[in-house]
Amino acid sequence: MKNSDPHSQPLFQLRQFSFYYQGQEQAVIDQLSLSLFADEITLLMGASGAGKSTLALCLNGLYPEAVEGKTEGVILYQGKPTQAYAKGLLNQKVGIVFQDPESQFCMIRVEDELAFVLENLAVPREDMQAQIQAALELVGMEDYLYHRIHDLSGGQKQKIALASVLLMKPDYLILDEPTANLDPVSRLEFIEVIIKVQKEKQQGILVIEHQAEDWVERADRMVVFNQASQVIIDDQPAKVFANYQDILHAQRIALPPAYLKRQSLPQSSPTAAVPVMEVQQLAFRHRSQSILHDVSFFIYPGELLAILGENGAGKSTLLQLLTRLKQPLEGEITFQQKPLAQWSEYELRQRTGFVFQQPEHQFICDTVYQEITFGMEVNEMPSAYIENRAAALLRLLDLEQHQFQNPFMLSGGQKRRLSVATMLDETPEILFFDEPTYGQDAQTTKELLGIIDNLQQQGTAVVMVTHDMELVAQHCQRAIVLSEGGIVFDGPPCHLWKENQLLDKARLRAPYHERVTQKAATIG
Amino acid sequence: MIQTINPTIKAVAVLIPGILLSFAFDIVTPLLFLVYLLVLTFFFAAIPWKKWLLFFLPLSIFAMGVAWMTMLYTDESYQTGPVLFQFLWFEVTLGSLQVGVSLALRSLCFITLSLLFALTTDPTKFMLSLMQQVKLSPKITYGILAGYRFLPTFQTELVLIKQAHQIRGVQRAKGFKQKWQHYKQYAIPLLANSIRKAERVAVAMESKGFTGDRHRTFYHALTISLKDWLFLAGMLAALALAYYLSYQLGYLRLIGQ
Repeated sequence: MKNSDPHSQPLFQLRQFSFYYQGQEQAVIDQLSLSLFADEITLLMGASGAGKSTLALCLNGLYPEAVEGKTEGVILYQGKPTQAYAKGLLNQKVGIVFQDPESQFCMIRVEDELAFVLENLAVPREDMQAQIQAALELVGMEDYLYHRIHDLSGGQKQKIALASVLLMKPDYLILDEPTANLDPVSRLEFIEVIIKVQKEKQQGILVIEHQAEDWVERADRMVVFNQASQVIIDDQPAKVFANYQDILHAQRIALPPAYLKRQSLPQSSPTAAVPVMEVQQLAFRHRSQSILHDVSFFIYPGELLAILGENGAGKSTLLQLLTRLKQPLEGEITFQQKPLAQWSEYELRQRTGFVFQQPEHQFICDTVYQEITFGMEVNEMPSAYIENRAAALLRLLDLEQHQFQNPFMLSGGQKRRLSVATMLDETPEILFFDEPTYGQDAQTTKELLGIIDNLQQQGTAVVMVTHDMELVAQHCQRAIVLSEGGIVFDGPPCHLWKENQLLDKARLRAPYHERVTQKAATIG
Repeated sequence: MIQTINPTIKAVAVLIPGILLSFAFDIVTPLLFLVYLLVLTFFFAAIPWKKWLLFFLPLSIFAMGVAWMTMLYTDESYQTGPVLFQFLWFEVTLGSLQVGVSLALRSLCFITLSLLFALTTDPTKFMLSLMQQVKLSPKITYGILAGYRFLPTFQTELVLIKQAHQIRGVQRAKGFKQKWQHYKQYAIPLLANSIRKAERVAVAMESKGFTGDRHRTFYHALTISLKDWLFLAGMLAALALAYYLSYQLGYLRLIGQ
């Protein structure tokens, strides 16, 4: 099944295919020529905005109809143009699992969601039960037939999404960043399920991904798009990452850690200083269910602290308590030696910051400039100071050309930078991040880390909740691991990676270089 | 048990008495029917009474308020009988008291009827039944179901946005104007996200082979059996009996009489 084998007829043939959204001059997909085969796993990478998701929807025939877009050129499916297939038919032949686990279901229970697919195909009722059962077994979710979808974890939801797509018995499967929202172990589990399915069904698969790490050895072929969604590289993944690093870098594509040099962490020992924040014996409940218990730790100036743990371990609740968005049931938090509860709202917000996962949630003004100056206006700073500071921030975060735009109209990376900028009207003493690298391309992440580094130099303590273990390994001096509402680890990440049992329990996964070293040690 | 009644029949069995009841302007008719409904609710519906009260109490307080206002502002043609008491500049007569109490009882009947339906009906089954019995378009029913799934996420997101704004130093809203301003600020990210999510769900549904076509099979077959017709007949008979009894006792008064 490898690339070197002579292929049979390609399943998809794109010839000079272009796609325009309605009313737009600029093509999202511009004169793309590409063949996809039913006997290989193809990894597709490219910067955000390169038209990868649009291509997925064009391949299964949803676009251009669903958006009244315009196309040029042709996509042939088994030698016949996609437009020539009856409505709904191609959707069944080409199944897609999407990125967002929250918004790909329309029913309340697992059973009904899977039945929905079979109903669409007008499968006789007698056959449904057996097919649903088989699909759930294939993805390892047979115990969840009667569960409510809302109550499942992100990884479980994606498996249900996969099961429902498999019920259509598709000829080809497209995975549009299905693991972007998952914690490291769930991510790996999902990929393993995919590989199992692929082996069993000999399924052709197109994987759209930002993180190539787990696919390099599993994919047969890798295709790289440039901004105009033209194919600039088409080769085996290992060769791509070995030979085309400059091109990948220009396309803002992150290299898998295997192709990066192991970076040593800048060592610093801030423990000598007085802590900015002290957390003692913290406990929190939600409807008589314990979320956090007995949580104690200190945060020191200038350190970069990561809070790790699986989804539902209480990380977000902890951040909300540390920022006084929720009140603890027991225990005490002090900020600069003064109990958190005693700070005035005004002063607390001025001296601390919190950057949310979704930048849009934090926008309140009509222009980027107003957004940046909002905090300073509230604090009644002199206008000369405001102007200077705003100009400096716009420059620092590369938003100068966009200062009169509406924040909602910015690109993803710009939104992220602006949401950070809104917290920096004065250098905060402590800054919290919820998933800072979530949904970001390599470039945005790099920029963000630059800003964080800059803040650390000025003595700001930075605390981040993250699933990104590479980030933790390369940039954080300290990590706290939450599991079942309690702290199970507090120390430098390099020690954490050695604790295999603990990692398993907290559903974490050591970063690539650690895994390789450990493997080598066990073999040796 | 009322849970097992076909949802469409149940909806009809709740709607028709609701409409027919609005013609009775006396006290006894709605009172009799209310007693019947309460018996039905507590002995044949298996609704936890705590949950029932949680919905019933606030709604009934609202109904009482409306009834009180109606009593004070009764139409002149109903302001018959001796003046019972004076409240500020209002004169409350026996006639207007009757109208007020009757309205209160009818409102309680409507509330009980609605709860009887809402708390014993699975939304998914209701929609499936509307497709199978009323032949409503799958586009509409699955659209409603997808929207229903959004409600909890909507709430979670609103809380997040409020927190995010608090972090920005937006002070707690004082007064109506500021509150309005705040809601406007919440609305934009909330709407932007809802539109995006709705689009995604629509695309996901279509890529699972959903075309809105009526030719589809059903996993849960919802049928109408004798039991369902009996339930409908029972509801109508109970209402007829309430009307008949209050007529026999000489209390019945219809609208306009």
